[in-house]
Amino acid sequence: MQYPLPIAHLIDAYMRLPGVGEKTATRLAFYTMDMPEKDVEDFSKALIQVKNDIHQCPICGNITEKEVCDICSNPNRDQTTIMVVEQPKDLMAFEDMGEYDGLYHVLHGVLSPMDGIGPEEINIKSLITRLQKNDDVKEVILALNSTPEGESTAMYISKLIKPAGIKVTRLAAGLSVGSDIEYANSITLKRAVQGRTAL
Amino acid sequence: MYLDHFVVQNFRNLKKLDIDFDPNVNIFIGKNAQGKTNLLEAIYFLALTRSHRTNSDKELIGFGGEYTNLLGHVQKSQVDLTLRVLITQKGKKVWINRVEQAKLSKYVGQLNAILFSPEDLELIKGAPALRRRFMDQEFGQINAEYLYFASKYRQVLLQKNNYLKQLAKGKTKDQVFLDVLSDQLAGIAAEVIFRRFKFLRYLSHYASDAYAHISLGGEKLAIAYHPSVSTIEADDTVEEIYQKILANFERNKAIEMRKGTTTSGPHRDDIEFKLDGKNAHLYASQGQQRSIALSVKLAEIQLIHQLTDEYPLLLLDDVMSELDHTRQSALLNYIHGKTQTFITTTDLEGISWEIIKKPRVYHIQSGKISFEKEN
Ligand SMILES: Nc1ncnc2c1ncn2[C@@H]1O[C@H](COP(=O)(O)OP(=O)(O)O)[C@@H](O)[C@H]1O
Ligand SMILES: [Mg+2]
Ligand SMILES: [Zn+2]
Repeated sequence: MQYPLPIAHLIDAYMRLPGVGEKTATRLAFYTMDMPEKDVEDFSKALIQVKNDIHQCPICGNITEKEVCDICSNPNRDQTTIMVVEQPKDLMAFEDMGEYDGLYHVLHGVLSPMDGIGPEEINIKSLITRLQKNDDVKEVILALNSTPEGESTAMYISKLIKPAGIKVTRLAAGLSVGSDIEYANSITLKRAVQGRTAL
Repeated sequence: MYLDHFVVQNFRNLKKLDIDFDPNVNIFIGKNAQGKTNLLEAIYFLALTRSHRTNSDKELIGFGGEYTNLLGHVQKSQVDLTLRVLITQKGKKVWINRVEQAKLSKYVGQLNAILFSPEDLELIKGAPALRRRFMDQEFGQINAEYLYFASKYRQVLLQKNNYLKQLAKGKTKDQVFLDVLSDQLAGIAAEVIFRRFKFLRYLSHYASDAYAHISLGGEKLAIAYHPSVSTIEADDTVEEIYQKILANFERNKAIEMRKGTTTSGPHRDDIEFKLDGKNAHLYASQGQQRSIALSVKLAEIQLIHQLTDEYPLLLLDDVMSELDHTRQSALLNYIHGKTQTFITTTDLEGISWEIIKKPRVYHIQSGKISFEKEN
């Protein structure tokens, strides 16, 4: 039997989310049908809003609803250090830990030729122009995951910025082989921040 | 170590099995296509999370089924373990003592198994890719670092080759990133090659010892490693190997960019079996080649014992009847009291029963196993 078209559409929509298969999507679709109208309205508004109101900070690439993100517009943060991370959620992990008070640069991915992701596809160019325009930065910390792709991305970035005479360091100790920063607990992250090594 | 209990759900034609094994010798008798190899393959998969005869895990799921479940209880000298593997259409998951393991490299090596089948003759006669696969499988199960570096090598090689193709097609011009990938790949390649030299040195030692036991000719067997970057030598350090590979990548850069692929490295290396210094592939007789293949398997048993202090399981698929009486008894004497052994055969003829002490005998028919009383 075929589902009525609106339900089939909703199931398709849910299936576009990561980790949601047909079974879960069907369950969610029928659940949505039974939700109070007000809740459904709020839900759909929230969906539109993330798309309309959230964008990448033009300076660092962090996600924000303001013109420039809270970190970039905070003069009390250490303006001499930039930590490069893969995703906004990695930035959140470092912020939650509270040990780091410099600036960030969010790449939104790592280099991966087999997935068609080259230097143009992630925020590397904006990092280089940012460093060229700004003499205050003395150190760039590469806090990328220790996957093969994270490692080659880190090597690539350090090759590009080293000639500028800026110190490039890498989070080393504490992060185990193949680990994701998102899942590392704050003690390992702290150790990683303190034990970073020059590239 | 030994496997004392094994539960199989839906592995090829083995619908449902729940069996206890003898710690010493287990013999499975059955006509062709009844599931003998499937059973050994299932044990091998429980140990290595891969099959010896296919790269596609999905192929193993019994026709019409959704998933395959393998559960084994392993006795080691110090501990006992429950291992579990689940194969689904989407992939596989593994558990040690009911705790799911996020990384296969944490799981592989808990149970070791060596499988010997008539196809192993290909190790000497076949294409180089078979010998590289042999190294990756066997060294991977005894050394977690080898497993880690070998799989990382495959991944970075794929990235570099993809990037070379993009350069070849003119889709990008950025050679800085190519240099980064070459540098990264050379570093991992050096780790792989260094360990291959080391393990092959041990393996060659034990294989030559085993060959002396099972062959009657008195020739000496040796195994040599031939890296595709020919400047690399057996006693180089990881750093030296890295430098040589890097120099080689640099030298071949134009060719690689034109061809869109990496032309040298561990994925192009080979090993050579030699009898009295002569290439066995070219000069050894069929019987000598069979003895070499068997010696290599026996050497792996010794190597695993040297590195882990445990003897692996030995899975002998259809090989007993192919060995003459002398080789059979040499084999059985060599492993006697050491390995838990699983032997499959279509009939009892040709097996030197008197040498096998108190085996447990099972019959396999259409994927079902029945136990015959001890004889
Ligand atoms: N995925 C599968 N599902 C069900 N049966 C399978 C599957 N793969 C192979 N088989 C069956 O397994 C049998 C072969 O078993 P095998 O163990 O190789 O035989 P043998 O006893 O000769 O060693 C064949 O009958 C084949 O059809
Ligand atoms: Mg068979
Ligand atoms: Zn910002």
